[in-house]
Amino acid sequence: MNVETFVTDKAGLVKFYEAIIANNETYAPVEKFGKFDFKRVLTLAECDPDSPITKTMSAKPLFFPRSAKILKYSADASGTDVKETDEDPLTGKRVILGMKHCDARGLQVLDKVYNWDYIDSDYQKRRQNSVIISSRCDKAETHCFCTSLDYDVENLDAMDVLIVHGLDGKIFIKARTEKGETFLKANPIDPASGIQHSASEEGMKKQYDAFAASFRLKMDYKNVNGKLSKIFDTPEFENVSASCIGCNTCAFICPTCHCFKISDEKIKDTGIRYKSYDSCNNGYFTLMAGGHNPRPVKYRRWRQRAMHKFVYYKERFGENLCVGCGRCAISCPVNISIFEVVNQVATTV
Amino acid sequence: MEQLLVPMICRIDKMIQETPDVRTYRLKFKEEGLMEKFRWMPGQFVEFSLLGSGECTFCISSSSTRKGYFDCSIKKAGLVTADIHRLLDEGDYVGIRGPFGNWFPLDEIKGKNLLFVGGGIGLAPLRALIQYCIDNRNDYKDFTILYGARTSADLCYKDEIKEWQENPLLKVILTIDKPEEAWPTNVGVVPKILEEVVKPVIENTKVITCGPPIMIKYTIQSLKKLGFADPDIITTLEMRMQCGLGKCGRCNIGSTYVCKDGPVFTNEQLRGLPDEF
Repeated sequence: MNVETFVTDKAGLVKFYEAIIANNETYAPVEKFGKFDFKRVLTLAECDPDSPITKTMSAKPLFFPRSAKILKYSADASGTDVKETDEDPLTGKRVILGMKHCDARGLQVLDKVYNWDYIDSDYQKRRQNSVIISSRCDKAETHCFCTSLDYDVENLDAMDVLIVHGLDGKIFIKARTEKGETFLKANPIDPASGIQHSASEEGMKKQYDAFAASFRLKMDYKNVNGKLSKIFDTPEFENVSASCIGCNTCAFICPTCHCFKISDEKIKDTGIRYKSYDSCNNGYFTLMAGGHNPRPVKYRRWRQRAMHKFVYYKERFGENLCVGCGRCAISCPVNISIFEVVNQVATTV
Repeated sequence: MEQLLVPMICRIDKMIQETPDVRTYRLKFKEEGLMEKFRWMPGQFVEFSLLGSGECTFCISSSSTRKGYFDCSIKKAGLVTADIHRLLDEGDYVGIRGPFGNWFPLDEIKGKNLLFVGGGIGLAPLRALIQYCIDNRNDYKDFTILYGARTSADLCYKDEIKEWQENPLLKVILTIDKPEEAWPTNVGVVPKILEEVVKPVIENTKVITCGPPIMIKYTIQSLKKLGFADPDIITTLEMRMQCGLGKCGRCNIGSTYVCKDGPVFTNEQLRGLPDEF
């Protein structure tokens, strides 16, 4: 796609954000207790579109809610009745400001499973009606490794509008999809004068190079993927998972984890059925009524987690189910990092 | 998605106590005209919900050739199944989503000898196929059913088995694990009877087996010993499932979704999967 790059400065960007928030239903990172979570915002002062990645939750719940009501029911002597819930399906037109690149990529990966065979129409509507605006990070944090995986971070098209904070203070804004192009026409930017298109490409490239050079973690993805697919039976999985306490935090904050459970809440003759997050690290996840459990011990569950992310999903849908955001490692109470797990296991071959 | 997770309401038309802990629920859709539209193949499953207790996966244990109803045979084993047994009665309503999953390879078993090997509640998915094959009896050659349970009281579908025994076109072999007074026939576990009593023809035979995981394991070993090839051994897997739609991630074995690619697999396919079922 050959589209114009808009160049502006800090003040121009603030105006751009303010106009977006004023004219659209906007979601952006809002701080609470030192962490940022995506909430509906009405003014720029409430939120920080450039919140630090280490403290920002994934925007996944805007597409796949943490807990969604499936139905309401009543069952009494007069019969059984099932009704739809009055919960907001989050399918209206909206703009998401301040989603990180890795997080936006997570949605591209999730699209594969949600649009496979049975199509999740609510998810699809949420995707179609959302415009994603994402700033590229300035530098990598301790647990970041997005540039090591199977996708091109520099030319990522997972966001509709890309914002790059150039090294010399210029800010570049560019549409990455048709939806983004239409959006920028409706929400124009004041361009600063006298900057050439060619110079902006160079400015963006320089920023990317500086960003890419700041990574502490680097992985040989092809090698890891190839080796993991051959070592299902390695005892190394026991070593890497030994300290796991099975809290499932890693799955709940992951931009790509999508396992869920269905549960009922009953009050006398009426109740609600929920669909809520679950995790393969949960000991009960695969436990069957007769007592049989295909993954009865922790290392097997960790093996499923690592292999699903780095091997199985790739085999099935052609994408890696980990986007390298490092959120799981940041939040893990016992400091398990998926980066270290897969690398350590791969070295045993 | 949420719409896909909303069940249709069915009425329990009849409840049959098969064994002390297994009941067959004969279901009909509450909404008129839906029963005629509900099409399923032997081997497919449904998500059965008792609203307020939860949703569980059960195979449909009757064939679509028997019109106007469908059966789910449920063993009391866990929380939801205990509630089902405790709370449900004829005339009550339950939720159904489905049918889901693949089915027995009907084209491949056409014109072959059929050997069904079942254990305990494992006869339920086989029963759907047995009924289907009985209703299309001319499509198949020899028809043998080997069925075992722990005790004679634990044999499911006792009345139907009597009908099968009286049918001159079927050969039915029953066995129980331990000797009992007044038990007229074989005693011993299913794999042993398979080798010593059934002595099946290998040529042109398809074996369809289901039972507890341990029985399936030893039955497949016996079948291999007798000389059956992996593609001729067909089984249906038990895995915990929740959505049935290939989304919730619960039934994954490697990159396979049991709810979409299964539950019916040949032994050849199973050997390609990680050992996690």
